[in-house]
Amino acid sequence: MSWLPLAHALASRQDLPVPAWLFAWGASIVLIVSFFALAAGWRKPRFEKEHWRPLGAGISRALLSRPAQALCGLVGVFLLGVAVYAGLRGTEAPDRNFATTFFFVTCWLGFAFFSALLGDVFRPFNPWRAIARTAGAGFRAIAGQRPAHLAYPEALGRWPAAIGLMAVVWLEVVYGSTGGIAVGLDPATVATAALVYSAYTLAMMGLFGTEEWCQRGEIFSVYFGMFSQLGWFGVKDGQLGRRRPLSVATHWATLPGSAAVVIASIATTSFDGASEGAFKDWIESTFDWLVDRGVGLLAAQRLTDTIFMLLCFGGVALVYMLGVRGMRTIRGAPSLAKLRVGFAHTLIPIALAYLVAHYFSFFVFQEQAQFTYLLSDPLGTASTDLFGTASAGVDYKVLSANAIWYVQVGALVVGHVIGLTLAHDRALVYWPNYREASRSQYWMLAVMVAFTCFGLYLLSVSNG
Amino acid sequence: MLPLAHVGHYFWAFYLLPILFVVIGIVRTTLSEKRRRDSGDD
Repeated sequence: MSWLPLAHALASRQDLPVPAWLFAWGASIVLIVSFFALAAGWRKPRFEKEHWRPLGAGISRALLSRPAQALCGLVGVFLLGVAVYAGLRGTEAPDRNFATTFFFVTCWLGFAFFSALLGDVFRPFNPWRAIARTAGAGFRAIAGQRPAHLAYPEALGRWPAAIGLMAVVWLEVVYGSTGGIAVGLDPATVATAALVYSAYTLAMMGLFGTEEWCQRGEIFSVYFGMFSQLGWFGVKDGQLGRRRPLSVATHWATLPGSAAVVIASIATTSFDGASEGAFKDWIESTFDWLVDRGVGLLAAQRLTDTIFMLLCFGGVALVYMLGVRGMRTIRGAPSLAKLRVGFAHTLIPIALAYLVAHYFSFFVFQEQAQFTYLLSDPLGTASTDLFGTASAGVDYKVLSANAIWYVQVGALVVGHVIGLTLAHDRALVYWPNYREASRSQYWMLAVMVAFTCFGLYLLSVSNG
Repeated sequence: MLPLAHVGHYFWAFYLLPILFVVIGIVRTTLSEKRRRDSGDD
């Protein structure tokens, strides 16, 4: 998130009681102890069933009724419209324009965080789904029948969403970060991208069906839907209910490309953190190499960042596949493809942990802006003060550098322990003998320790 | 005074060590289990 100077932490350094790398050792010990605790005490799968319990009929009726759904959709469409208008007509300064913070902080981070807790909260507010459903209802009213759709190619699965996820982060982090060579991600570009994406999404919904596209290709539905698999609440047969947390995740990765979505999430977050810290020297060397060969400054910057973002994707995928390959060494192991798909959901808590660790402080700071001066003066032109908060500022003292570090460490540890637990639970499905199931998870333990140490290293370097 | 001006460039090694320990542990455990299985088969 490089369009603000304080992307990942406060400007002040931490004052930690022990070196940052010792936290990585401590986190690794927690994972190793958790592994042995699971091996000793967790002998039957517990997350394969949802344990669904419906909530009261009144709550379901209130939250799932047509008027409530319509209102949520209307709010989503209205806010999309406000953001696009602000982007096109408002100030060029990204930190003073409603559009940039709304899209890349409030929605991108906010929906991810809240979906992981509460379930699929994005779905009712999805503006494109609301527009497509309204258009579909209008078509039915006029034509007297449902609109016909093409059959979605099953082999494509969630690949459009995975590629789209990389594209969104590329826009924000690569296109939007130009090393001072040129103006990066200005609000007008964000608004234009939103309009282009709206046209593309509505076209795809028209071709394949609204719900079909939301489940497979619509970037934000798939991305937030992935995190919602961890959440407490869901909808089944038109009723709102509570489910065992994490249980729905075990059946999420059945579509092709699902592993790519979660790997892309981890990789893009890693790249965003590494580009300002751990990879900085390598990025500068590659940039200089390209410039020396006659590539223009801006093209060299973007090409270098793109290469490193793709390398991050490749690296995360490689580490995951090493863990999967390691499981194949145990007697009775399913095929590589089945293991690759069967364990992809175990990376979802890691993707969430990376997101929280890298962006939660940014979220806390920027949401102050979102709900004060950006709300009162969305265009950033000092011409309006809708709610009397246009002159408010951001209080960066609300989180100390140490508090940020401890939350980052806590998020990474908790996320990876949950990932390890999900992996162990799935192993018990493939290897009913719990000893073999535990042995099969040696290499997934190595994967989890690798992601934890890598995540903490990125944070320690970018925090300074 | 020790020449430690650039030691900060190598802090990444401290983050690599836990991974190496786990991987070495896995390799050793796997090899000893294989040896035990093979000697049990003999």
